[in-house]
Amino acid sequence: MTQPPPPPRRRALAASFAIASTIGLASCGGGGGSAPQACPSPPPAPLVQDALNDATLYSTSPTAALNPCAVEAAAATKHSITLGGSPLAYTATAGHLVARDPATNAEEASFFYVAYTADGADVTTRPITFFYNGGPGSASIWLHLGSFGPKRLVTGDPATTAPTPFPLVDNAETLLDVSDLVFVDAIGTGYSEAIAPNNNQTFWGVDRDAAAFRDFIVRYLAANGRNASPKFLFGESYGTTRSGVLSHLMETAGVSLKGVVLQSSVLNYGTNCDQVNITVSCAGYLPTYGEVGAYYSLTNPVPTDSDAYAAQMRTFTASTYEPALSAWLTSHTPPSGSLTTQLQNLTGLAASQWQANLNVDPGTFQYNLLPGKLIGRYDGRVSAPKGSALASEGDPSSTFISAQFAAAIGPYLSSTLHYTNPSTYVTLSNAINTWDFSHDGSGVPDVIPDLAAALAQNPALKVLSVNGYHDLATPFHQTERDLSRLGSTPNITIKNYDGGHMTYLDDASRPKEKADVRSFYQSALSR
Amino acid sequence: MNKHGLGLFTMLLLAGSAGAGEGKAEAPMRDPWVPPAVRAAAAASASAAGETRGAALHAQVEKKLRDGFDAADTQHAGSITHEQAQAAGLGMIAGHFNEIDTGRTGRVSFEDVKRFLKRRGASTL
Repeated sequence: MTQPPPPPRRRALAASFAIASTIGLASCGGGGGSAPQACPSPPPAPLVQDALNDATLYSTSPTAALNPCAVEAAAATKHSITLGGSPLAYTATAGHLVARDPATNAEEASFFYVAYTADGADVTTRPITFFYNGGPGSASIWLHLGSFGPKRLVTGDPATTAPTPFPLVDNAETLLDVSDLVFVDAIGTGYSEAIAPNNNQTFWGVDRDAAAFRDFIVRYLAANGRNASPKFLFGESYGTTRSGVLSHLMETAGVSLKGVVLQSSVLNYGTNCDQVNITVSCAGYLPTYGEVGAYYSLTNPVPTDSDAYAAQMRTFTASTYEPALSAWLTSHTPPSGSLTTQLQNLTGLAASQWQANLNVDPGTFQYNLLPGKLIGRYDGRVSAPKGSALASEGDPSSTFISAQFAAAIGPYLSSTLHYTNPSTYVTLSNAINTWDFSHDGSGVPDVIPDLAAALAQNPALKVLSVNGYHDLATPFHQTERDLSRLGSTPNITIKNYDGGHMTYLDDASRPKEKADVRSFYQSALSR
Repeated sequence: MNKHGLGLFTMLLLAGSAGAGEGKAEAPMRDPWVPPAVRAAAAASASAAGETRGAALHAQVEKKLRDGFDAADTQHAGSITHEQAQAAGLGMIAGHFNEIDTGRTGRVSFEDVKRFLKRRGASTL
């Protein structure tokens, strides 16, 4: 499915400001011009004020670009949250910073970010974490408003009966007690946009995207006096692909990281049978099928403990399923009746499905597990009748929450964070359709070598992989297998939870994940 | 490619406008996801690369690091100065230059860098 590219468009509009009157209006002329212009170097300190009315129109079109000499400005507001009975005062800063090419100092893109920083902390010891979602083409709204920020939307996951609009509440599980948090949107999503002579498409590729994120982080650290702070990355989904590449780039640049949190990983597109070709083994999904089938009590027996069942499914996958699957994939050897019966007992999916194609892909599983119903891809625990509105986009778990998140961000930015902008905040752009997925000479990225290169340059780097047992998009066991290529190393920790792609939406799993992330930070910082 | 034979027509009826065909769920855009053209083109290169581990993975790591080093070695001298490391964005090498340059020659070779990283405990190189 492709979408027609929007027409090339204009660009003008320096920012205008609610309080400071004329700053930013004297920006360079020329719209989407071709010749690089000399902007002030080094760039002036970003303008930070109580409220910002940013009149710049941001576009996520592939051909869009901001004028050169983009303005760096932000709104900073004071807030407080009660955590464990004590108030924590923090500042929220929402606005833009410009990433520049480190070799030429040329502007690349203006990144939109929202930073939450604890007031009065010692910046030399206070950690700072950069969060981003994936797609590619997704704004970082899911992590920002759903996970460990100081506010979160109440989704009721995995039920689809929560009251709407979702209330935005103080988040008892915010990571702000451990680290400052910066949620940043990829170029051509949210309010982030390339700067001419580049356009958004310039950065829609595995390598260019990661390099631009590096350059944003470098700018953020410099502009905020945070070079000495312990640094962490927290990416989700394609954001974990980005983190693999980015961690290597950061270590190479000498901007060393303490830790990387991988939320629901896709580290090697070539081993995810849903991403490249059906001839790839789907064995990495089998334990997830088991967990989802168990959730619906379709397995025989129905397990009582997700962790124990995962262990059982891993063993079955390696010892029984894979040898038969290998024979099926190489020579179409039909599986035995006893195997397909076992598979039905373990996953709930009918033996006839396994008989028809032993290499069951997640789309087939989603469609056929429950009669008359489609189960979610991001969260297999969510289901909806086929033909219903919730099933109409192919993933009821996504459809239920997407519109709510999209509706919440604008009012939150303007009313609570005092950053206003007339543009539509695009939560999912078309970047994925024209993304350059190639990396290291392969058509799709495998970033295990990048993670390995980051670890080689920084042997103290710690990696935490967090996954949902019921996530049919990035199956936990495939991630375990991908990470096992790095060998047995104390640098890597893997934690799995009941829940989907966004484990943090589950009210029971979010506190567990928070506790594990907190322990991970303590361990990474204790060296 | 009809993987579900006779069931297809029924399933399409059931699916209605569900965007689901061939008895499986298909969402137009999702994370992670790759467009069909990339998906097809990638299959070959993905399987060719394989799942490297051990020595083969370490060789990939070495190539990554060496490529970065060679890009900084603009005169193809086989070694670089502190200034060259800095100019090429090799902050890790520039930041540890004196530790890497054990012979105090003012230049470091890729082998020097590798030795330094192994000394620091690199297990993936």
